[in-house]
Amino acid sequence: MKGDSDREIAIFTEALKVSHRERASFLERACGGDEDLRCKVEALLKAHSRLGNFLEEPPPGASLD
Amino acid sequence: MDRSLAPAFDQLQNPNGARDAHELYSAPRLMDNMSDATVTLAAIEAGDPKAAEQLLVLVYDELRRLAASKLALEAPGQTLQPTALVHEAWIRLVGDRYPSFKDRTHFFCAAAEAMRHILIDRARQKKTKRHGGDYLRVDFEELDLAASSADDQLLAVNEALDKLALEHPVQADLVKLRYFAGLTNEEVSGVLGISVSTVKNYWTFSRAWLLNEIKLG
Repeated sequence: MKGDSDREIAIFTEALKVSHRERASFLERACGGDEDLRCKVEALLKAHSRLGNFLEEPPPGASLD
Repeated sequence: MDRSLAPAFDQLQNPNGARDAHELYSAPRLMDNMSDATVTLAAIEAGDPKAAEQLLVLVYDELRRLAASKLALEAPGQTLQPTALVHEAWIRLVGDRYPSFKDRTHFFCAAAEAMRHILIDRARQKKTKRHGGDYLRVDFEELDLAASSADDQLLAVNEALDKLALEHPVQADLVKLRYFAGLTNEEVSGVLGISVSTVKNYWTFSRAWLLNEIKLG
């Protein structure tokens, strides 16, 4: 469980450093045939591309000091 | 402890400075809560399964009291300052007892979870009021809409965070510390005992994970 979590995060983090063109082959290699893992990371990369300012402002009702 | 955190924690551990501002509290109760918190932290360390929950209740009560006393002094429509509240609760409940690294981790994670509950409760209350018509609709219709969608997003994040905690518990703690308790990357690094660059990587991952989850949900 912890190993799976670490691996998913590590692959996601590395994939962000790889150019868009090389991402597919990177994921292929990194996920080593684990389709489930590759789908998860692909969905996360997609979400990452539209993150914008998501969660970077304090929640409603709260402010920084 | 990471030395880059020293200034922040030195400030936290200056109980006199912080206490002068809050002499409204009676000394005996403060002492009771302080020893409760210390005993509870020791119980967590000793592996008492109920102690984590006790700590959460203790911290939650303290934060609610602190928040109420701040809000009572200000004009309506106020916002809370989670970082200040959490640091103040730390000083009041544990600060000058020379806590261990693990005590600090347990305390700040509990405080972040408590802060999350407080902010979610407030968002829910606002929503109920809006739906009940207890709101000035005429002049504030647009403002109301914007606030309403921000509150809805907060409630969606809150639900998704429970799911994140099942798959990635450390990252869920990190989101609570950064987003709900308003700690900086450096402070989170000190609390969780991971490097600042790992904090940043986990934060990016968690934001993407939560956004993806909300879209699905």
